Amino acid sequence: MSLRLKFILILVLAVVTGLLAMPREDLVFSALGFKHVKLSVKQGLDLQGGAQLVFQADLSKTPSDQRDTAMASLVTVMTRRANIGGTQEVTVQQEGSNRVAVGLPGVKNVNQAINQIGKTANLTFVEVNSQSGAETPTDISGNDVDSATADYDPTKDQPDVVLKLKSGDSTKKFADLTTKLSQNGDLLLTLLDGQPTFGPARTEAITDGTAILTGNLNINQARQIADEITAGALPVPVTLVEQETVGPTLGKESVQQSLVAGIIGLSVVALFMLMYYRLAGLLAVCALAIYTSITLTLYKLSALVPGYTIVLTLAGIAGFILSIGMAVDANILIFERMKEELRAGKSFVAATEAAFDRAWTSIRDSNVSTLITCVILYATSSATPIIRGFAVTLGLGVVVSMFTAVVVTRTLLRVVIRQSWGRNLRSYGLRSSGEAGE
Amino acid sequence: MNLIGKRRIWYSISFIMIVPGVISLALFGLKLGIDFTAGELLTAQGTVSVAQAQTAASGLGFQDIQVEPAGHNQTEIRYRDPAPQGQHEADHQKFKAALQQAGFSELSFDSIGPTVSATIARNAIVSLVVVSLAIVLYIAFAFRNAPPPVSPWSFGFMAIAALLHDALFVLGVFSLLGHFAGIEVDSLFVTAVLTVIGFSVHDTIVVFDRIRENLRRDKGSFETVVNNSILETVARSINTSLTVLLTLLALFLFGGESIRTFVLALLIGIASGTYSSIFNASPLLVTWHNYKLKKVEKARLAPKKA
Repeated sequence: MSLRLKFILILVLAVVTGLLAMPREDLVFSALGFKHVKLSVKQGLDLQGGAQLVFQADLSKTPSDQRDTAMASLVTVMTRRANIGGTQEVTVQQEGSNRVAVGLPGVKNVNQAINQIGKTANLTFVEVNSQSGAETPTDISGNDVDSATADYDPTKDQPDVVLKLKSGDSTKKFADLTTKLSQNGDLLLTLLDGQPTFGPARTEAITDGTAILTGNLNINQARQIADEITAGALPVPVTLVEQETVGPTLGKESVQQSLVAGIIGLSVVALFMLMYYRLAGLLAVCALAIYTSITLTLYKLSALVPGYTIVLTLAGIAGFILSIGMAVDANILIFERMKEELRAGKSFVAATEAAFDRAWTSIRDSNVSTLITCVILYATSSATPIIRGFAVTLGLGVVVSMFTAVVVTRTLLRVVIRQSWGRNLRSYGLRSSGEAGE
Repeated sequence: MNLIGKRRIWYSISFIMIVPGVISLALFGLKLGIDFTAGELLTAQGTVSVAQAQTAASGLGFQDIQVEPAGHNQTEIRYRDPAPQGQHEADHQKFKAALQQAGFSELSFDSIGPTVSATIARNAIVSLVVVSLAIVLYIAFAFRNAPPPVSPWSFGFMAIAALLHDALFVLGVFSLLGHFAGIEVDSLFVTAVLTVIGFSVHDTIVVFDRIRENLRRDKGSFETVVNNSILETVARSINTSLTVLLTLLALFLFGGESIRTFVLALLIGIASGTYSSIFNASPLLVTWHNYKLKKVEKARLAPKKA
């Protein structure tokens, strides 16, 4: 690839990622005719506020060959429940062999959320003998229910829950049961997690699969119970083992503080590079700007790919800011080497090429050692998302910075030393003035 | 300048820097946060006194209530709830409401159960060991064709020596900070130590790389080659660390309260990493080389005596 082509490609990359990385990139899209395209960096719960809950499943009564299935259905049911009445994007993931992590951004009432998600919600029906009061369990459960809705009976001035049973077998079982009960004059008791919730009450024969349950409930309770029944029972009981709640103000403050820290950090590094390496420093600062644009663009684009989204946490921001400091590392290695070669009397072209060649092994080996750390951190941090966030942003930073420091800076430097104004030793922080050979 | 000739001085400085921390580690250990010990941590807005926290918690049966100011007009309240796990959230809600009545709103709340903390602790140890091993192997591999007189493994092990130096220094400082200033270590701290390890090696490799290059050109004795290599790379070692330290300093001064300890650990560790890569790792190569020379010499002389 010719130098000119490379230079043009880098310019294009800089402009495109620069525009995408801007906070208001939607203006660019709408100028191009794409309305309503808005990218954003996905923020972790510690930044946007919310709660992270980890539930542990009790698998002791589940046969070992059914545990994976139980966990999978646990995640499904918990996802349904976490999404009840929510507009925010919730995340439900299995962690390790027996835990489920639930992320609830912007949740206000954590206690209610914990109850809503962690409750087993096992619906059971019991026959109650009207004479003796003896209770006989039935084989009908929440699994036979298709959906439940809260309703209001104006004649009784009472909220109720309308159960819609699954068609076929379930409806038939329920019809048989209620027919038997109504004939004998026995009562039906409905339990939720072992708690008597509806009845015991007389029932008529229900053959159409629609049962109306009344109890001593207010409308909110009726709604909650209906939601729980619809979402289904948890296949195994769970307990809450970890909770992290961050208020929205603390999160906002953290974002603001990190932003300030990032801008100051970036400026100080840029200033240092300019003062110490002059013209070469300026090129490094350009590369650093491109580095920042690429990284932010990657963060934003990753949010479009489910499963690979980079979630920015507070520690992740620290990883990103840290990688700014590292991004110039490679440039420093190259420039120091270049100064050395220039001092030895080499021409600018020869010194530049030698600097990149010789510095490369150091850059490669040192970055690989940081990458090893990131990979291992990532692999061992499934229980601690905050660490995972750090490993991801630092690792990504290392990879991108290797590209910008080596490819971008090299191209820029090659272009500059071909100009007469770019061959002044002083411009590179060397003492002797004058122009070196071509 | 003869840095290698003064290596005993550099080793002594390291020794003096590390020993107090190691003694503290042996005596007091680290002050472990709830990530490792399990428990609850509530951050409240405002300055909560110990008495106020205890009043708010009255009747809830909390144990080990600790109240510490956390800067920015915030207070951290730690406690352990001996009630069964299912009861914790209800207790927390009561506590939160009582604090709210006293005029302190909750900013954040963490609760870690014992099984989770055990996993975190195990992962921390596993990752420390695996990172160290992976780095030795990588360096030995990267330096596999390093010219004599030093073996590739020496490079790997001396890098590990420097890395242990930095990890021990950070652990020691935090043991002292834990004992005297109540600063706790959490899973982020482990991340900081691992990152310091990565960086320490990062710096060390730059010098090693130059040593390897100069050995190929064969400029004088091993000692001279190492000394020259250090001198030739000292500007870049300091500058690369300086840029990282500057960004960390910005984070420490202006970044959020919740990662200040993490950033402090990184700052200390990376400063130590710069020192160890210049003054420990490469001089240690010389010390090791000389030790082996002596052994060879002894072995050569031994049969004559017999």
